[in-house]
Amino acid sequence: MVKRARKISAKTSERARSEVRKSLEALAARDDRSADFDYFMDLYGAVQTPEAVSERTGRPVVSLLCIQAPIELIHAAGFHPHKVVSGSQAMANMALQGLPALTCPMLRAVTGAAAAASDGTPGTRRWVLPTTCDWVVKFPEMLESSGAGSIRPSLHWMELPHLKDGDSGQARWLEEVFGLKKFLEGCGGKISRASLDASIRIYRDAWRALTRLAMMRQEGRIAAVWFALIAGAFFLDSPERWTKAALSVNPPPGGARSDERAHVFLAGSPIFFPNFKLLDLLEDSGVSIAADDLCSGERIFPGGVTYRDSSEFGMMSALAQRYHQGCLCPTFIDNDRRINNILSRRMASDFQGVVFHVLKGCHPYDLESLSVEAPLKERGLKFLRLETDYAAEDSQNLRTRIEAFRGTLSRR
Amino acid sequence: MTVRNLRGIVQHAGFIVMMYGGRFGLHLGSAVPCFACPFVPGCGGFCYLMGLQGYIGFGMGAAVASGMGLVTALGWFAVFAASVALLGKLWCGWICPFGLIQDWLSALRRHLGVRERSIPYPVMRRLAWVKYVLLAGIAIIPPLVTAGILHEDFYLPFCGICPGKSLLPLFAGETRYLALNYDNLVTLGFSVALIAITGAMLVGMFLKDRFFCIFCPLLAFIHMLKPVTALRLAKTPDTCVGCGNCRRACPMEIEAVYRERASSDVQSDECLDCAACVEACPSDFALALKFLKVKLFRSSRNYAAGIGGNSKKNELSR
Repeated sequence: MVKRARKISAKTSERARSEVRKSLEALAARDDRSADFDYFMDLYGAVQTPEAVSERTGRPVVSLLCIQAPIELIHAAGFHPHKVVSGSQAMANMALQGLPALTCPMLRAVTGAAAAASDGTPGTRRWVLPTTCDWVVKFPEMLESSGAGSIRPSLHWMELPHLKDGDSGQARWLEEVFGLKKFLEGCGGKISRASLDASIRIYRDAWRALTRLAMMRQEGRIAAVWFALIAGAFFLDSPERWTKAALSVNPPPGGARSDERAHVFLAGSPIFFPNFKLLDLLEDSGVSIAADDLCSGERIFPGGVTYRDSSEFGMMSALAQRYHQGCLCPTFIDNDRRINNILSRRMASDFQGVVFHVLKGCHPYDLESLSVEAPLKERGLKFLRLETDYAAEDSQNLRTRIEAFRGTLSRR
Repeated sequence: MTVRNLRGIVQHAGFIVMMYGGRFGLHLGSAVPCFACPFVPGCGGFCYLMGLQGYIGFGMGAAVASGMGLVTALGWFAVFAASVALLGKLWCGWICPFGLIQDWLSALRRHLGVRERSIPYPVMRRLAWVKYVLLAGIAIIPPLVTAGILHEDFYLPFCGICPGKSLLPLFAGETRYLALNYDNLVTLGFSVALIAITGAMLVGMFLKDRFFCIFCPLLAFIHMLKPVTALRLAKTPDTCVGCGNCRRACPMEIEAVYRERASSDVQSDECLDCAACVEACPSDFALALKFLKVKLFRSSRNYAAGIGGNSKKNELSR
């Protein structure tokens, strides 16, 4: 029995490696490939275990599943925030048994990767999980029921208040951020005013680099797949090295997008390497992404933490507020200003429609797609909701719908 | 150059003009809408509050006698109103020398890593009446002196307790306003009050950004002229994602800008038009400092991130 399980794990791991290899080969064969992208492709090609990431960054790793925990604080404590995500269909399939059919594909893939790992755990001794969506809350149980082992002894929960506009929710979240500080210090981390200030500056620089890349994508200088690749690589290396490489990306103008292409805003569930299916289909159908609000894209971290009070308390408060009030995740109850981000970006860009990506099983985004559709249409934006997962079987169906949608944009 | 840096340059230039202008032949008159303190030897203009107290008090007496005092008073009010109509609260956020002193103290606090003592916005709103009470005192007390009801040393009541009078002259080597004045009980009372208020304000201004501005009657007076002011802070609520950067960047910790979901008018009575909120806002077009309908400076994701390319391609269709 154990031997068979090991065999399955080995086969799954090989399939997952093959997925990565094929995706990287496809990217390498693109006409718009530039040597500027090599650093990021190399990161994906390298081993992604927490130990390998730790060795690469020179810091012990704290594993995360989403962007809700303040990464500046984790970095200031001397750790590297490592967002454990996966777009691997092989890994998602690996965890299919024993989990509900409509489990979030991303967490299924992470669970599968953990189950396939040789030591039976996701491979790190520190986890920080804010209680964002139900899947994240149930993640430790998912791991255990899949035979991947338990992360509970090393796990720190951050209880996320789902009302973000009120003072009580913000005060509670600030307590949680101080709780995270205590946890990190308990793990041997040291946080000082100077280290926190330096960390915020490091991530502010990274945000500048990310914003510059988003601008390049908006101007058509880099394709959406390259932007997704670069953004997704953010947690795989030290933020300083990533920022330096991202600021070096400088392809010639007009390389990725011509005026004939329809321009859209991509909203909804995140997209993770190596599963760039949706991005590829959009591009093949003549649709360019001008901007996005994915937590795997432009929202990979909040960025731009503003504060006047540079005491330690002031910076902690600023971090807490920026990560709470500024978050557009559909897990929040009072998230009605979410569409304002799209409207704001539209004033600076020229997209005609919104493609709303729903990962099957990602219920918060699924539900929110219903509430954002009408107000966006009222503002004259076309809207296309695409529900999919990591499987390739629905590609033709998606392509047909995207091409039909593209036709409506062209007629404007 | 960032707006913040530009503001710093303007503030320091304003400080030099207001404090030392008279020494090189520059005087902006008696209706300057900021703390250009007449007690500073060689200053470059007089704060309108001092002129106002004088015109309301002795000016009224003179008006009765000749009619000329009233004309002079109305003339200086017209100059004051025109200055406010043109520059609005830029006088407070960009030019006021006492504002700059507060910003120096805040910078010192930040340098030392001392935690800012935040005043909850509801408390700040409740304190807003203080500046209007002070303004009312400026209007009521001087006529009582003219009428002989109050002692003549009440003739400049606000200057008697203004920390600008005690602190700004120090930059011209004048220290006497920090001493007790034993001329009579009224002057002694004023000088004791002034020293106590100055001490309290120094502590407050060190611990809280722009602490004095919460109580400034000149800010209240400028705000009362809002209907004729060309310079405004405006919001496009449809583009605000509610990140709260504006509130955190604001030295007055104003919440109204963050909370507003319908109106474009976010110029509250505490606002100093310093534009810190516009600089910090990462949403394109959400906030703007406008002169009439012209956007002098608007929020931009690229600006907030520190990169160029602030392109505007099309307006929001509604």
